[in-house]
Amino acid sequence: MPSFVALPEVATVKRREFRSTLPALLFLALFFVVPVIALLLRSVLEPQPGLQNYVELLGSSTYLKVFFNTFMVSAVVTIVSLTIGFPVAWTLAIMPSRWAAIVFAILLLSMWTNLLARTYAWMVLLQRTGLINKMLMGMGLIDKPLALVNNLTGVTIGMTYIMLPFIILPLYGTIRKIDPAILQAAALCGANRWQALTRVLLPLTVPGMAAGALMVFVMSLGYFVTPALLGGTSNMMLAELIAQFVQSLVNWGMGGAAALVLLVVTLALYAVQLRIVGNESEGGR
Amino acid sequence: MKTTFASAVFAAALAFSTSAFSAEIVFSSWGGTTQDAQKAAWADKFTAETGTTVLQDGPTDYGKIKAMVEASGVTWDVVDVEGDYAAQAGKNGMLEKLDFAVIDRSKLDPRFVTDYSVGSFYYSFVIGCNVDAVDACPKNWADLFDTTKFPGKRTFYKWSAPGVIEAALLADGVAADKLYPLDLDRAFKKLDTIKGDIIWWSGGAQSQQLIASAEAPFGSVWNGRMTALAETGVNVETSWEQNITAADSLVVPKGAKNKDAAMKFIALATSAQGQADLAAATGYAPTNLDSAALMDPEKAKTLPDQQTASQVNADMNYWAENRDAIGERWYAWQAQ
Repeated sequence: MPSFVALPEVATVKRREFRSTLPALLFLALFFVVPVIALLLRSVLEPQPGLQNYVELLGSSTYLKVFFNTFMVSAVVTIVSLTIGFPVAWTLAIMPSRWAAIVFAILLLSMWTNLLARTYAWMVLLQRTGLINKMLMGMGLIDKPLALVNNLTGVTIGMTYIMLPFIILPLYGTIRKIDPAILQAAALCGANRWQALTRVLLPLTVPGMAAGALMVFVMSLGYFVTPALLGGTSNMMLAELIAQFVQSLVNWGMGGAAALVLLVVTLALYAVQLRIVGNESEGGR
Repeated sequence: MKTTFASAVFAAALAFSTSAFSAEIVFSSWGGTTQDAQKAAWADKFTAETGTTVLQDGPTDYGKIKAMVEASGVTWDVVDVEGDYAAQAGKNGMLEKLDFAVIDRSKLDPRFVTDYSVGSFYYSFVIGCNVDAVDACPKNWADLFDTTKFPGKRTFYKWSAPGVIEAALLADGVAADKLYPLDLDRAFKKLDTIKGDIIWWSGGAQSQQLIASAEAPFGSVWNGRMTALAETGVNVETSWEQNITAADSLVVPKGAKNKDAAMKFIALATSAQGQADLAAATGYAPTNLDSAALMDPEKAKTLPDQQTASQVNADMNYWAENRDAIGERWYAWQAQ
């Protein structure tokens, strides 16, 4: 690089980068921030000014249970997605690229298929008279149909299936970036396979895992269709509660309050993630 | 660049011309076989008679109605809503008063008429049962709540609406004429006894699927859905004992853009012929008292308005008053 070209100061670059994001910020302000503020106002103004909506929401054991369900289901889905997604991402990363392309195509195709259609497909597979139960009973493995749907099991299966791509794709990116020579170096230093995996590889994939896990967790928190169709009412999640307030009871004060609690929790989680992973991934570059 | 600009102008001009010269109204309902029948019985005829296009939209969403009315951007001209919502929304200023100079109310079943709404059709919650899947079918609400005599899953309507609470009280032995005001404590206590055996249906198609697949071989369902299911060859039995009636209503949201055309549409929809055609197609009952005379007597016999022997009418006014309180308790109970 010719040395007479003055390199811009870091601060100038940052300012310029920021300026180029202005249209996007404006768009967000108009179509996201303003409605959120309107919602906040409703939650403290309807039906009369005050905090009664929040008091009712956080003071009722039923609604607290819905909050608990929401976090519990999201956590379970995240853990199961990670457990299944990690080996898949790993296999994809070391596969010949032609085969990997086919697997990716399948993965993306399922992502682009209508959510409702996919959820109904699970319903047909999982119900008591569904394919899976009929097969298991036909093989004599069970004599009473398993309860796979209208409960936590159904929600977990349906949501994990939908969330898998969101964990596989970032993990795949992270794993691909790992230099295979690192493994050789580990072996040369006397690490056995298990040590190479747990002490070298896994720590290197943490940013990818954290990014994927957080995305899945946050998306799960606000999920509506799948829990509504595959879960029972006793596993009700927050998005369903909000839908009831907004659509059926037409109580927007409570709906707004519930939505804001969800938003605050999500933002807090995001801040935590930035703190833990943000620094690390920047250093990694 | 030029072409995109030209095509944008063209599109804008086209949009302007359609709105200025050929009238159209938007009708929202609940989708599925019922809305298809409403389109055939009402919308297509209305277009043929008046030249006004009727665009179909849906599903009906009370949150959307509120949003439209508050933002003065009402895009639905006529909406099919549940009767208890209609009675409440009219009082809350969400609806236009209907023009009874255009709509003839003299022949309409007075149970379903208010200043803001007229009956769209009325239906009964009946006990549907897949005969091939069980040894015996429950005949009344007490049977449906009896898990010893009738073991297995049963299906009920998921949303807070007239029907399920009444069924629980009838099952518990409350006399039909003593139902209102609803004893909610008693109803939920009764519902607790079968809570683990309930699979909820949130839409008519789901109730058909549950019963046809025997996932829940019996349950409380809209009568028309069982008629439709029987027509597909499923061996279903409908018990009309203590059938609980509730109605859908036609309303015009406050600030609808095509109010005049909307009134004319409702006039056609609630005419004797309009109601008879819809009833023949859906198995729901007409809200026009002259419609029965226009129908095939064999078909008319199967409708809820002929099943009056042990019929129970859900009290729409009671529900309008208590809709919010019952709803909150209902969803809280479900989530527990």
